[in-house]
Order: sequence, then C-alpha cells, then structure tokens
Amino acid sequence: MSMVIFVLLRLAPGNIVDILFATGGYVNDADKAAIVRELGLDRPIWVQYVGWLRELASGDLGKSYRYDVPAWQLIRPLIPVTVELAILSTLIAVLIGVPTGVVSAARQDSVVDHALRIFSLAGLSMPSFWLGMVIILALVAGAGWIPPVTYVSASENLPLHLAQFLLPALAVGYRSSALILRMTRSTLLEVLHEDYVRTARAKGQRGWLVVCRHALSNAILPVLTVIGVEFAFLIGGLVVTETVFNLPGVARFLVQAVLWRDYPVVQNLVLFIAIVVILSNLLVDLLYAWLDPRVRYA
Amino acid sequence: MRRFLSTVAVVVLLGVAITAPPWQAAFPLALAQPQRSPAAPARSASPTYGHVLNVMQREDLPQGFAIHESATNSTVWPSLPCFNNLVMFDPGNPLERPDTIVGDLAESWTWRDGHRSLLFSLRAGVRWHDGQPFSARDVKYTFDLLREAPDATVRLRINPRKEWYDNVEAIDAPDPASVIFRLKRPQPSLLMLLASGYSPVYPAHLPPAVLRTRCVGTGPFRLKEWRKGEFVEYVRNPDYFVRGRPYLDGLRYIVITDRGTRFAALQAGRLDVAFPGEGSKTLAAQLTAAVPSMVIREVATKVNDNLLMNVKRPPFDNVKVRRAISYAIDRRAYASAVHRGGAQIGAALPPRPQGAWGLLEPELRGLPGYGSAAEDRATARRLLAEAGYGPGKPLRVEMATRAIALYVDAASFVIGALKQVGVEATLRQIETAQWHPIVTRREFLFGTNLTGIGTDDPDAVLFENYACGSPRNYSDYCDQDVTRLMDRQSQEGDPAKRRALVGQIQRRLEEDAPRPVLAWRLDYFAHWSHVKNLVPHHSVYNWSRMQDVWLDR
Repeated sequence: MSMVIFVLLRLAPGNIVDILFATGGYVNDADKAAIVRELGLDRPIWVQYVGWLRELASGDLGKSYRYDVPAWQLIRPLIPVTVELAILSTLIAVLIGVPTGVVSAARQDSVVDHALRIFSLAGLSMPSFWLGMVIILALVAGAGWIPPVTYVSASENLPLHLAQFLLPALAVGYRSSALILRMTRSTLLEVLHEDYVRTARAKGQRGWLVVCRHALSNAILPVLTVIGVEFAFLIGGLVVTETVFNLPGVARFLVQAVLWRDYPVVQNLVLFIAIVVILSNLLVDLLYAWLDPRVRYA
Repeated sequence: MRRFLSTVAVVVLLGVAITAPPWQAAFPLALAQPQRSPAAPARSASPTYGHVLNVMQREDLPQGFAIHESATNSTVWPSLPCFNNLVMFDPGNPLERPDTIVGDLAESWTWRDGHRSLLFSLRAGVRWHDGQPFSARDVKYTFDLLREAPDATVRLRINPRKEWYDNVEAIDAPDPASVIFRLKRPQPSLLMLLASGYSPVYPAHLPPAVLRTRCVGTGPFRLKEWRKGEFVEYVRNPDYFVRGRPYLDGLRYIVITDRGTRFAALQAGRLDVAFPGEGSKTLAAQLTAAVPSMVIREVATKVNDNLLMNVKRPPFDNVKVRRAISYAIDRRAYASAVHRGGAQIGAALPPRPQGAWGLLEPELRGLPGYGSAAEDRATARRLLAEAGYGPGKPLRVEMATRAIALYVDAASFVIGALKQVGVEATLRQIETAQWHPIVTRREFLFGTNLTGIGTDDPDAVLFENYACGSPRNYSDYCDQDVTRLMDRQSQEGDPAKRRALVGQIQRRLEEDAPRPVLAWRLDYFAHWSHVKNLVPHHSVYNWSRMQDVWLDR
C-alpha cells in the first residue's frame, strides 16, 4: 500500500521544484538541479522509499517541501476537523436515511414511499459540493450571512463552531442519507417478505413493532456496511465541501499538497486515510458480530 | 416508532434552525458580524485607531514571505505590510509614475553622473521587528542578493527578477545612513523598479530562507501567526518609524481558495477587502446589486492576455503567419466577449491613461487586430495565402494553454477567431505544474498566456518579455534593431524622447507579432465602505502596505 502511494505520486508529471519555479515564472536549470539535490529528489525512487519507511518507523513523518516545517505539524490540526465533519455527516445521514428507509419500506408503493424515493433520488443526483454552494449562496443572498470562514473551535465558541460544521454536514449527510435510505428500504423489503415476519404478524404483533424489532435488526447489516464505507469515503472525499465551506480539513489540504507535489504531506495524509478506511471496516465487522449472533458464533 | 420519528425530525429541524439566521437574534454576541450598512457618509472624517481588517487571500502564501523568491501577488499582497522599500509609490495615488514615487526607508535620493549613480539617504532609528537596527548594510545585502553580486555571501533559492538589476555595477554603503547604486549605463527607470512591491529590503542578519516561514521586516505590521492554509495574522508594530502609523490594530488575511466562497464572504461581511485583480465587471454588478454600499473601483491590473508564438519553429518562424494570426483576432471583440467589457485594448505596455507608456487608440489603428474586423480578416487570409496556406491546405496548429479558466476562456475565443480565417486550431490544456516548465523550455508551438508586470516601466516589460535570451521571452523573439532601441530608451533621460522610442518599439513588436497582446485586464476592486484610505493602484502589486488604512466602524 505504502509503495503504491509512493510510486504513484512520483509518476505524476512535475515535482515541487517545477511548481516553485512556476510561481517564479521562469526556470533556471542549474538552480533547479540544486533544489532537486537539496530535497533528495535526485536519488533513486527505492532509496527515497526506504528512507521514508525508516523515518516512518521512527515516528518521523518528514518535512513538508512547501512549508519547510515537519509534516506532522501541518497534518495534526487537520485531522479533528475532517473527523468531526465526517462523523457529523454520517450521523445526519443515519438519522435521515434509516428512519425514512424504514417508512418507505413499511409503506411500500404509497404516496409517502414515492415521495421519499424522489427525495432520495434528488440526494443522489445532487453533488454535495453543489448543494453546499447553493446553501452558501442562498444564505448570503437571503440573509447576508454565512458561517465563519476561519476555523472556530468548540472551546472557543460552541454556537459558532456548530454553525460552521452543521451546514456542510447537512450538505454531505443528505447525499449519504439517500444511499442509506435506498439500502434500508430494499433490504427491509426483502426481510418483510420472510416467513418469520408473517408469523409475527399472524400472532397479532403490532405492525411497527414487527418492522422495527424483528425485521429491521436483520435488515440493518448491509446498511451498516454502507455506513462504514460512506464514513471511510468521507475522510478523503470531503475535498470540495471543505473548500466551499473553507474548512481546514484533511481533504482540502491533501489536494493542495498534491498540486504542489509536496510528497511528504501527501504520502502521510493518504496513509492516514488508508488507516481510517481499515479501522472503519474493522469497526463494521465488530458491529456485525455484536448485532448478528450467527457471525459471533460462526 | 412514531415517537422515534418525531424525535428524529426535531433533531434535524434543530440542526437546521441552529444554523439559520433567525438564530442570530437569540445569540447576537455569538454571531456578531458587520452590518449591511446603508450607503451612509463616513461617521468620522479623521482617521481613528483600532480594529482588525479582514482581507481576502486567494491561496496560501506560495513562498511564505519571501517576496524576492516569488512572482505572484499571492505572496506580495499579504507580505508587504511586514516590509518596507527604499522608495514606494504614493499609497494615496492610484497612478504609478516616476512623479508619484515617495520615500520609504530612504528619506531622500539624488541622481548623479548623468543617471549613472543613485545616492540614497536612509532614515535613522529604524529597527527590524526582532529589535536589530536597520542600516545601509541591509540595503546593500538585499540588492547584492538580487543581482547575484560576485561577493554576495548567500544566494536566493529562486531569483525571478535578477534581470531587473543587471545594470547595477556595484552598491556601496559608505556609512550606515547612505547607499549608492552605481550603474553600468544610465538608467533613470531604476527608481520605478525600486518602488515596486517586488523590491522590499531584507534583513541582512537573517538568511533569506527564514522569510519562507516567518516575517522579519521593518514594516507597519508584525507577523503574529501564519496558520498554513488558513490565515496570516499581523499585529500593529508599535515601533514603526512613521509616527502615528499604522491606524489598524491588526490585519487578518483569510485564505479562501474557492472564488464563489471568497465573494460570498465579502458580501456577508466576513471580509472587508477583496483580493486585487479578482473582480470582474459582472461580479462587480452583482456585488453592487446585493450590497449597494459596497465600494467598487475600476482600476487597471497591468496584467495582459497574450498569444505566444514560438518564432524558432515553423510555421511561426514566418512573420507573415504570425501577423496573419494577429490580424485574425479582433481585439475589441475579444475585450467585449471574454471580459464583458472589463478590459482595455493596448500593445506591449499598459494603455494610457492608467499606464504611462501604452499606445493611444489612434496609434493602435492600423496595427494587426485593431482595425475593422472584416478588413483585418481579409488581410489575415491574404497573408496566410502568401505563406502557402489556404482552403486546400489549411494551417493546422495545436494551441497550448494552462488548464485554468482564465487561460482557457482566452484560448477558446482565439480558436474561434482563427477558424474564421481558415486556421484549424486545437486546444491542449496543460496542468499548472507543467505550464511554466513547458513554456520556459519552449516546448510549445503556439499558446495563450497571461503576463503581469511588476512595474509600469519599459525596462521592466521589454527586457523581460522581448529581449534576446531572456528566460521569460517565451516566444524566443530576438531582433537586433529592437534590442538596440530597447537599450536606447533605457538610457534616455528626456521623457518625451523616451516615449517616442517606446512607441516605436511597441509598433514594431505588434507588426512582428511574436507575442501579440490581446487585452489588458481591468479589476473591479471591492471593499466595504467602512474601509478608509485604501486606494487601489492601477497595478495589482504595489500598494498593499496598509499603513494608512483605517476603519470607520
């Protein structure tokens, strides 16, 4: 994995030195070669790779080429921003997606079901960044107000902090909720046609009790997978949302680092994202075992 | 279940409500923000102290505060409040000409020996932000660093404006308060270069690399914090050498990379001031409609859109082909279509009256692309036919441009215009990381480009973009007659004679068409009406010291 990240980055055309000279508007080959040497970019790729692994093993993430400061110093403040936004977005997605999915399945082919399906189709069709931009423009046009454009921590000012995070979380969460809604609906519909559900109904159990207690607990497992995948995707996929709402998160910084070919920052950020993906998958697997006795005892 | 759904609905609605504007009424302190003030006159006629100015910054500082290692306003705009020049353009006058130059770290200056020697007398008692005293040694150090003097002890990592100081033979610092620039040949325009925002004085006691991460200057504001990718924050320098300045307690340059968000933030009052060169005519109209009290000023940017034709490679080694291309593009239509009228037509130097040296409208008539569109197109077809191209054998070229909207818009118009004279051009978009390496190595045939000029002086523009062997002469144009004329104008002390020579050069460049200028961009610079004494200049680079700015809140 680390090797793929490392090599792919170096296959992209240009390097930090090209960018540095681009901002200077000219190229001086001798000066360029000197900087390439200074940054160690003239060494064979495998030597650079081993050097990076050695640094990583000793807890050193290297130095940003662009900012000339330790990469960790740049990355550390970004992580809480993105993780908080991803958690909030996922929470909003679940809070909207699961209940509406249940209602949609339980009222299959009713007006409510059709309305909810249109609602979910709209969510899937609208890119979250577009929705984010619409929210910003609507706010500024309608109220002359937008959330703060510099990061405000919760300890500094909680209401402002929430205002800063809830809108982008809503924009992102809506799209994810559409996916969750559709998944909940389809898996629940499948389960609702099972014999044991029919038996529960025949025994006179109330409709919502059957759906929520007996059917949903069995239908929720695939939904959980979707939630896990969505969360992992959000950690690296919030680029445009973070850009539109000007939140200093991992994804926005990653794009800037890629554009600048700031290898140490990109490598470590991608590695961080990969770790989050693995951890969220692990968490989903653990939740599977907790929710489904068949997995637990298998 | 119903109860559960109700709870969910309440939570979601609460989430929306908490972020919505009516909530401001309940928590006025938490969301305190500037009011959309009506277009009221200033409450206070005389400057008042205090407040922090929130300033737009389009991207993070590419080279930190190391202005001498950068060629973008993304560095100059947020770094200049930290530094001082020897001389500067009068902050209160939008025109940048020799007669608008005022002292900065230099109290006075005198030309000697027929513009071959320039003596500066420096201010006394100036200190760097770290407490070290400023002296002539710092000035000598800075300009020796820039011209890469043989005895300079350190070098810049990147030195984009070395050519500006090619004519400096030596810099002497006979005492701590005097500096003498000795020139190889007369160069009256040196003062214009020294007044540019690209010419701050660096501290000699620190390596230049330090300025990539922090700022130590003599300027009106001291760096408080640079949070990478987020903002740059300055506080007032209480020891600033100009008595009573600055008025502001601080400055905050907020990095917002998305253009839509940048202007939404300005409109919502999260920012007080826009970024120079960012405002289009359309945007200005939208802002004024939304916030009638917003101040919009139309100024020149000194940035032009131009065509690059590699004169070393066929077919552009043939002047007839180059001239035909230039004739094919109707400059007035270009300014009207691509810039919605927010641009001026002009040749190699910025048009008058905002510029000092550009050709006037009557002088442009008759040059390729400035006459009647139909006649110019007919001339283009005739020239192409003479060069061997026509309906049976159309000229096919690939047009390279940087893959960002500003460039692609220009390229699209050009391709359309060329089609009308039978030239079949295809577009090749090049990623930013590759654009400058490609044009610098001349690995292109034909392209559209944007060029900004640091200071409105023929020496800064002509030698950089048209002199034989200059790295930024991307077309590789080299004409000995033009070079001789460039040298002559540079040494000419009589402004009228110099203007005549510069006009002659510009006409010649338009006729040879190595790098035809398509239009000079205008900026519709926006700021809130409570921002006082911020006078945008007819250039994007040279007026962001902020020492006289104050807020009338």
